[in-house]
Amino acid sequence: MRQRAIGQQVVSRGVGSSSQFIGWVSRNSAMVALVITFISGSIFIPTFLTRLNLSAILYQYSIIGFLALGQFLVILTAGIDLSQGSMLALTSIVTASLMQNYGVPVAVAGGLAASTLLGLVNGLLVSRTKIPAFVVTLGMLGIARGLALLVSDSKPISIGIEAFNDFGRSNIWGVPVSALLWLLAGLLLTYFLTQRRLGRHIYAVGGSEESARLSGVDVRNIKLIVYGLSGLLTAIGGVIWTARLGSGSPIGGNNYEMESIAAVIVGGGSLFGGVGSISGTVVGTLLFGIINSILNLVGISPYWQGTIKGVLILLAVALSQVRRATGSRQG
Amino acid sequence: MENQEPVLKLRNICKSFSGVQVLNNVDIDLYQGEVHCLVGENGAGKSTLIKIMSGAYQPDRGEILYHGNALRSLTPRWARANGINTIYQEIDLIPSLSAAENISLGNEPLKRSGGIDWASVQDRASRILQDMGTEIDTQVPVGTLKVAYQQMVAIAKALSLNSKVLILDEPTAVFTSSEVELLFSIIQRLKSQGIAILYISHHLDEIFKIGDRVTVLRDGNLIRTAMIAEFDKNSLIKAMVGREIDFSLRNGHKTIRDEMLRVEGLVRSGSAEEISFSLHGGEIVGIAGLVGAGRTEMARMLVGADRPDKGQIFLRGNPVKINSPTQALRLGLGMLPESRKEEGLVLVRSMGENIAYSEVEKSASFGLVPWKRIKSSVQELITTLDIRPTNPHTQVYFMSGGNQQKVVLAKLLAAKCDVLILDEPTRGVDVGARLEIYKLMQRLKEDGKAILMISSDLPEILTQADRVLIMARGRIAGELSAREASEEKVLSIALQLGETTS
Amino acid sequence: MTAINRILSERSVDTRAVLKILAILIGLMALASIVSQGIFLQPRNLVNLVYQNAILIIISLAQLLVIIVAGIDLSVGAVLAITSVLIVLFQDYGLAVSFLVAFGAALLIGLTNGFLVTYVRLPAFVVTLATMQIGYSIAKVLSGGGAVYTGLGGAGIAPGLVDFYKGSFLGVPFPLILCLIFLLVVGQYLRTSFGHFAYSVGGNQRAAYLSGIPVRLVKMVIYVLAALLCSIGGILFVARVGMGDPQAGTWVPLDSIAAVSIGGASLSGGIGTVAGTVIGVIILSVLNNIMNLLGVPPTLQPAIKGLVILVAVLLNSTRASK
Repeated sequence: MRQRAIGQQVVSRGVGSSSQFIGWVSRNSAMVALVITFISGSIFIPTFLTRLNLSAILYQYSIIGFLALGQFLVILTAGIDLSQGSMLALTSIVTASLMQNYGVPVAVAGGLAASTLLGLVNGLLVSRTKIPAFVVTLGMLGIARGLALLVSDSKPISIGIEAFNDFGRSNIWGVPVSALLWLLAGLLLTYFLTQRRLGRHIYAVGGSEESARLSGVDVRNIKLIVYGLSGLLTAIGGVIWTARLGSGSPIGGNNYEMESIAAVIVGGGSLFGGVGSISGTVVGTLLFGIINSILNLVGISPYWQGTIKGVLILLAVALSQVRRATGSRQG
Repeated sequence: MENQEPVLKLRNICKSFSGVQVLNNVDIDLYQGEVHCLVGENGAGKSTLIKIMSGAYQPDRGEILYHGNALRSLTPRWARANGINTIYQEIDLIPSLSAAENISLGNEPLKRSGGIDWASVQDRASRILQDMGTEIDTQVPVGTLKVAYQQMVAIAKALSLNSKVLILDEPTAVFTSSEVELLFSIIQRLKSQGIAILYISHHLDEIFKIGDRVTVLRDGNLIRTAMIAEFDKNSLIKAMVGREIDFSLRNGHKTIRDEMLRVEGLVRSGSAEEISFSLHGGEIVGIAGLVGAGRTEMARMLVGADRPDKGQIFLRGNPVKINSPTQALRLGLGMLPESRKEEGLVLVRSMGENIAYSEVEKSASFGLVPWKRIKSSVQELITTLDIRPTNPHTQVYFMSGGNQQKVVLAKLLAAKCDVLILDEPTRGVDVGARLEIYKLMQRLKEDGKAILMISSDLPEILTQADRVLIMARGRIAGELSAREASEEKVLSIALQLGETTS
Repeated sequence: MTAINRILSERSVDTRAVLKILAILIGLMALASIVSQGIFLQPRNLVNLVYQNAILIIISLAQLLVIIVAGIDLSVGAVLAITSVLIVLFQDYGLAVSFLVAFGAALLIGLTNGFLVTYVRLPAFVVTLATMQIGYSIAKVLSGGGAVYTGLGGAGIAPGLVDFYKGSFLGVPFPLILCLIFLLVVGQYLRTSFGHFAYSVGGNQRAAYLSGIPVRLVKMVIYVLAALLCSIGGILFVARVGMGDPQAGTWVPLDSIAAVSIGGASLSGGIGTVAGTVIGVIILSVLNNIMNLLGVPPTLQPAIKGLVILVAVLLNSTRASK
């Protein structure tokens, strides 16, 4: 039992260990939910805890996972990125169309560059003008989608290079490569956000923009960078997605940004910024994946997923409201 | 100390806002290792002066010399980076980050790999806090610490930047006495390290305990700078006030009527200790007191914006429970809030709409609004209060401070409030509009309305109020009739020093 | 001061803004008729314009109401979808009953949104994001996943409904009449006390509260009205396409926000008009029309829409705002 530090306010009103437990649960609610659902699934559903099923979950959700990582960075600065779904489609089109004539490396580079560039444009507008992030990325949603449709002439572009397509579907010891890449990205970002100056400054900007600015933090460019990173991470997800489909699709990715926002919020991020973690975001993504899988295996209509997702989002945001009110931000 | 050059010297500083002169040729200097106290009433210009020192404002005229060098332009970033640090009441920390991290923010020690050297961050924080003589958990989010300790972390951060000048703006406003002692021991240590400290406070006993020299400001003018030993409490207060009061502004009519409002034993944790008083129709009661005395908090309880923990409110002798401003309005209670832009007006809407809000709420039935009647009453008020511009469609955002204030008043009048609670009615208002507001208040008084006027402007209280209640630390510390009251008496009660002989 | 300036300055803040956008619209329509060599202004084309936009206009009115109180409603499309499904499923019991069921569902969603935003004080964006998910999900469950064409007992869609959509009165198409009715209704609502208060709540909630305005009630009513308006959109939808679609309207939230923004409303609340919103919808539509006539590929249209939104908001932010 840690001694209450000198000067620390008593956060919860209860006496004894029960309030500490509640406090801990509310701070780690996503993880708790994940563990509970995972265990429930394993116990009650025979086919849940199989290599096939688990890798299927990872396979499906690693792409949203990339988007969620990028969305988390943006939301940390109290921003939002509504253009992710459209950028996903754009990357896929650019990659596919470059593939035929220029080969895989150039195609992938092109696809990554396309969305990263658009992400930087988002960042420029958000950091240098008074237009709210919501509106900027809303506009970009349309622009990116339009570019995707334009370049592809509204038709999917198939990819003939089998090696590339196989990569998208490959496994290592049963674990999908895309999931491993996602994990790697998560680890890198965790290192970045906890150990590097720039990463910590991102938290500072979200926590209190004015105080951060006074401390010499380069608020404007940090905002620019996080939107660029969101574009880049979306692009990585896009390349993998393209490989999986075996073609570039100009119409896919619809509403994916809503999925990534949901994952971030359920994972403990707050739209007000400064709060949350990469691990929380990963947990949020996996939570949706596991629930989805459970519903499928049990035979509950997949149509119910939306309801569960919606309820989870509400619970998560209500919890973060409670956290704000009782403790971490003192008036 | 006397032989050195001052670390920071300000000469002939002048500053005005919207035509109002806030600082008038003020000089001040700070020496190494001294605690220099800055005193003056609310509105004397203290906070403007320190904002100029920290670079947040630019003076209209005057010089700033740092270590003997004239500064061309001073910005907050430059000041912080070069050793001038201000600790404001609004804490400049990132609440979600730890104390150790806040202290090193923007200045993080790095390992060879480029990552943050957390051991050093922790070290630095512990070292500084130890030097200050205090122990604080440097790992928890700073937002979970009590405000007093957050202040200390803010001071620690300032020290980590090799401060030469430390400006403390009313640091002890929310401190317990043991926390004040802790702060003083920290200040002693800083003194011995040669840091120049500017200490602004209303707590005169603190000033006599910790200060070396004191500068008194009044109405934007430098009154005197001297060693603390040359003052005693009485002479200090006299220096802070002691104006010529223009009593011709006062209206001598006795218009007092029946009791309208009575408050008994109002308590609210954190802001009101135990408040009781009564207010009659046809009188203006002034509420004086320092910032933080709990005046606005009391006003909010009277209009239902906050609920008291204990106590009773009586309206015309009947006990009432005021649960919301909507209810207060129905009962005839209306408030002009302290901050008109944030709480009094909807800036993006027009003047006519703003004036009408409370009246519409009171008079609409089932959604149907008697627009004709409202339009004419709005028009009438615009004329009566002489609001400019006269077009009711004018967006309030574009109106001057004085006219904006009149719009808020018009709103209360349109709603036919019998009890008007005015919180700083002439703050940020030009002289002309000020006089008009005074005239209006007198007229309302003659009409039998009951007016509670919260004000930090002592001359205003003395000339406009029939009675003065002085609040301090959440209770009513004293009451004076208009005849008995003087600036010195009011201020000394507000400072809780007991009455002085005039 | 020129005569125009004097007239303009006498009008309210809102009217000036509306006149500005109206000017833009007229300019665009002129451009369109030139480019189309007169075809644009032909009655048949104009009537088509109405048919295409009737639903969006009504839903944008809903969005306007929410945006005025500084909120946002992402669930508008979901309400459209779920009401369309319910209407078709309950055809066996007659049109009236099916409408009632639809209104009931919309009421429930509106109350949920309103309660969570107003009393629990959760951010409107997240709340309506969640109710959007839930709404679409339940719509899918009810319909079995795909579109529905017949009621639970097998009844087809009442021919009266479809005829209504295609019909007209004295040459004016019924959908247009319906739109006009709701424009008037919403416009009038904004002149009642609660509508009046909505502007203050959105413009400065604290000031509204201290002025005695019942802030929470005002917001609750807004969210409920918005959902009910969307259910009207659902009725129109069924009348137009003859089915209930659980995936309808995914484009609607963002389109309605775009239209409302172009129409001069501010996302931070307190500003916005019915006229401006309608003009916003029409501007988007005319732009589409122009682009089609010019042979601009339909693929670019979302891009152009995006640009227009950015420009509109940028221009609006130069006005006095919060």
